[in-house]
Amino acid sequence: METGPAIETRGTTRAFESRKGFLFREKTRTEALKGVDLTVERESIFGLLGPNGAGKTTLTKILSTLLLPTSGTALVLGHDVTKETEWLRPRMGLVLGGERGLYNRVSGRENLRYFADLYGVPVEERERRIREVLERVDLTEAADRRTEEYSRGMKQKLHLARGILHRPQILFLDEPTIGLDPKSARETRKLIRSLVSDGVTIFLTTHYMFEAEELCPRIAILSKGRIVGRDTVDGLRALVGGDRTLEAEAYGFDDREVDALRSLPGVSKVVSEEYGPLMRLTMRVRTFEATLDDVRSRLPGHPELSVRERRTSLEDVYLDLVEEEAA
Amino acid sequence: MAAAPAHYSRRRTTVASLRLAILQFMADPQWLVPSMIAPIVFGVVSFELFRGYGQYFLIYAILGAGMMSMWGQTLYGSGWATSQDRNFGTLEPTIQSPSPYLYVVLGRVLWNVVSGLLGGLIVYVVVVLAAGQPPALSNPLGTLVMFVFVMLTLAAVGVVFAAFYVYTRYAGFIQNIGEFAFYVGTGCMFPVVILPFLAWPVSLLFPPSWALDALRYLAIPGYQGFGWGFWGDLAGAVGTTAVYLAIAGSIFRRVERRVLEAGNLSDY
Repeated sequence: METGPAIETRGTTRAFESRKGFLFREKTRTEALKGVDLTVERESIFGLLGPNGAGKTTLTKILSTLLLPTSGTALVLGHDVTKETEWLRPRMGLVLGGERGLYNRVSGRENLRYFADLYGVPVEERERRIREVLERVDLTEAADRRTEEYSRGMKQKLHLARGILHRPQILFLDEPTIGLDPKSARETRKLIRSLVSDGVTIFLTTHYMFEAEELCPRIAILSKGRIVGRDTVDGLRALVGGDRTLEAEAYGFDDREVDALRSLPGVSKVVSEEYGPLMRLTMRVRTFEATLDDVRSRLPGHPELSVRERRTSLEDVYLDLVEEEAA
Repeated sequence: MAAAPAHYSRRRTTVASLRLAILQFMADPQWLVPSMIAPIVFGVVSFELFRGYGQYFLIYAILGAGMMSMWGQTLYGSGWATSQDRNFGTLEPTIQSPSPYLYVVLGRVLWNVVSGLLGGLIVYVVVVLAAGQPPALSNPLGTLVMFVFVMLTLAAVGVVFAAFYVYTRYAGFIQNIGEFAFYVGTGCMFPVVILPFLAWPVSLLFPPSWALDALRYLAIPGYQGFGWGFWGDLAGAVGTTAVYLAIAGSIFRRVERRVLEAGNLSDY
């Protein structure tokens, strides 16, 4: 039985250099990852969130041996992704998704057959496994059609089928439900959960907060190449100052009123936003501390005042952390 | 679900790649042009060009048109397929699989050799039908065997060239620049011996230059090629082909490392 984390990165950086201009003499350097430290436990789903260009795909490609880090270390299943690719590749699956990445002139089944051979799926098991994965992603009926006839969602499913065909120990999923209709997306999430119960570790990047919240016991948020938060969803809520969010809306608040809210017990943060004539104050609050009545009492003289309370969502956490990093 | 990892097999990867190449060929009617129609056109044009140029004009017509119809396909077919991998976005999942990309290329090379030979056969049939008689080859069986060997030498160079297509998306541009020089320099169009002597050392770096000269020795009675004769040509062709195949493995490993450093596998 192998032990230790499924993924461990220490100070992983990645810079891209490109040349442009006359005779490519202008050199530009972009730091996509700026020292990423991550630990992912085995047989779990780990979610990586971040805005476009944050470095999610770069990190996924480094971990799946498609890209070398510029510095730092990255271990997957205890093996170095830069030196032990031969050991690692048969044990990992990668789903980059999207419209590309498939041989469009041949059928979905032929695509799977080709990659089954490349991954060394035992010949006697190949057809059975292809049938099995096609069934799991609900593509059995379309299996013998050319993939150029597939919708985006069907291609996404085929990517997923290819990723699990060789029964990997760790699966990297880059936005696996993008392009899927709600029913297929729900089935895909179900499939992802079932893979974990089969002993697979999942490393998932997504833009859908509800998906991360639903699937991932642990999450990291990447912004501008840095991890700005990593914990459980509740841990991340605590990181941004509370699992409760209070909102107050009226036709304008002055600085004194904002300061008064800030001084309420348990309020860690007050953010003001304007929506046309309305102004909204959003507060992150720890459990059992400031209440709606406390807020009302600090904002007298606003007959139109509307206050409400909700649970701090992962989206709130995400936006707080990403905006803090940007600031 | 997670099973003990299976191991790739070089033979299986090569066969899978060959099979996919055939399936893609069958699925795409545009391939009929270079593989079927072009050899017929080349055969007819070549027959008309060489008609009246001595008793061996039929052989020149067949060799000229045969090489013209198959050299490009065999030499650049695998590189072009790698370029297609970039366009389709299949280069990343293929490189990420446990199978070394070299064996994927080898499968495609095999298919290119077969389709190149098919082109050569079509040319032969067209020219013979046009002339109403078969050519008077010096050594018919030897010519046939050597013809296949020429394809293998072209394929060996093609494997090395394919590595550049993995390395950069600009490989096609470089190929276009060198295409005509390679065609002339290796003797596909006419014997290397008629090129300036200074061009010989460059020509002889490529296995097809040796093999094509050997082929002419076997096909054309009284042919005078390089001073070292047929056996010298054959030894040179075998030696340089072996060198190309030996360096192909190492080149692919290095190129794969470089593209992982550069991170340009998804560029197209």
